[in-house]
Amino acid sequence: MRHEAEAITPPKAASLVRAIATRRDREAFKDLFNFYAPRIKAMLMRGGAADEIAEDLAQETLIAVWRKADSYDPEKATVSAWIFTIARNLRIDRFRKDRRAQLHQVYELMLPAAEDPPDVPFEAVERESRVRAALQGLPEEQVRVVELSFFEGSAHGDIARKLGIPLGTVKSRLRLAMARLRDFLGESS
Amino acid sequence: MTINHHPDEEALAAFAAGTLDEPRSVVVAAHVAMCPHCRATIAAFEQLGGTLVERAVPAASRTGSLDQALARLDEAAPRATVSRQPEPDCPAVLAPYEVGRWRWIGPGVHWRGVEVPESDGTRVFMLKAAPGSSLPHHGHSGIEWTCVLQGAFRHDLGRYGPGDFDAADNTVDHTPVVEEGDVCICLVAMQGNLELRGWIGKLLQPFVRL
Repeated sequence: MRHEAEAITPPKAASLVRAIATRRDREAFKDLFNFYAPRIKAMLMRGGAADEIAEDLAQETLIAVWRKADSYDPEKATVSAWIFTIARNLRIDRFRKDRRAQLHQVYELMLPAAEDPPDVPFEAVERESRVRAALQGLPEEQVRVVELSFFEGSAHGDIARKLGIPLGTVKSRLRLAMARLRDFLGESS
Repeated sequence: MTINHHPDEEALAAFAAGTLDEPRSVVVAAHVAMCPHCRATIAAFEQLGGTLVERAVPAASRTGSLDQALARLDEAAPRATVSRQPEPDCPAVLAPYEVGRWRWIGPGVHWRGVEVPESDGTRVFMLKAAPGSSLPHHGHSGIEWTCVLQGAFRHDLGRYGPGDFDAADNTVDHTPVVEEGDVCICLVAMQGNLELRGWIGKLLQPFVRL
């Protein structure tokens, strides 16, 4: 079951983040929290985090949104993609085996400097609508395999066992889903 | 800079999702830092992550979760850890890690360790090879992911210049040869030990343990 009705559109999400950046708007924070925190939590639990840890990390993610709001650049990423990367980095930081390790920093260090213009073929809003269109046309069974593979990092064999389908079916569904994403993103290479 | 060899889509997706282990992530990041094409792919996967989050069935929150978050908004932010400047000859993505001294390991070839925590027997190091030198003929007991930082080498599957990414596994048995001209420096994540072939390899094996 999907919850499209409660969805925050990308422009609405961007204006909420801007409201936090410009006037520390707590109402805007509440709206973002109510939409994203339970969904980030769901994603983290799908990735294997226990309820308590997922709850903490989801809360940390939204607090980071409050703190980093003024560095959010709507041309480079939609709010959903940006929040996804914040949650990803916090999760990496939480689960790293060695406290000295700094993998979450590596994700920032690999990017061109913030003041550089975006170097990707389209702007964030365009990319979002293409990804959404690609997903909308996918059969639910393919989306499920993409989710398992993406959020959980599961090996193909594990996905096959989990869904009770043959390994070849997992591979073909992933291949079809990836081909469709590639079509919509205009990357034929 | 023309980059011809990229990580496969599965590797980029896992990297974007944060499910790739740290040693391999660091080598992928070194490539991505030099490759706008892969940055675009990563951005697309991050958007996929964001869109999947939007579509996720929300998990039930702890009671008082929002109030707890609101109460914390005015706490001072934890001081951001300042990343160190990378060592000379090191890509920026290595700034957070300690890097060892270059050590001679064979004719024209130097090695230095990068202190990325080992994961599942995979370690990170840099190799520096003189123009025209050939790396020991070798096979692998596990995966070997390489990003060329400078110079170029060739093996059966083509030429690998700055920014190129090479993924080998235990099915590959090859002898990379460094091109004439520039010193070749690579960043490598390797699982298990390099299996050196031939009599020089046999001589080096005991004290290299690459």
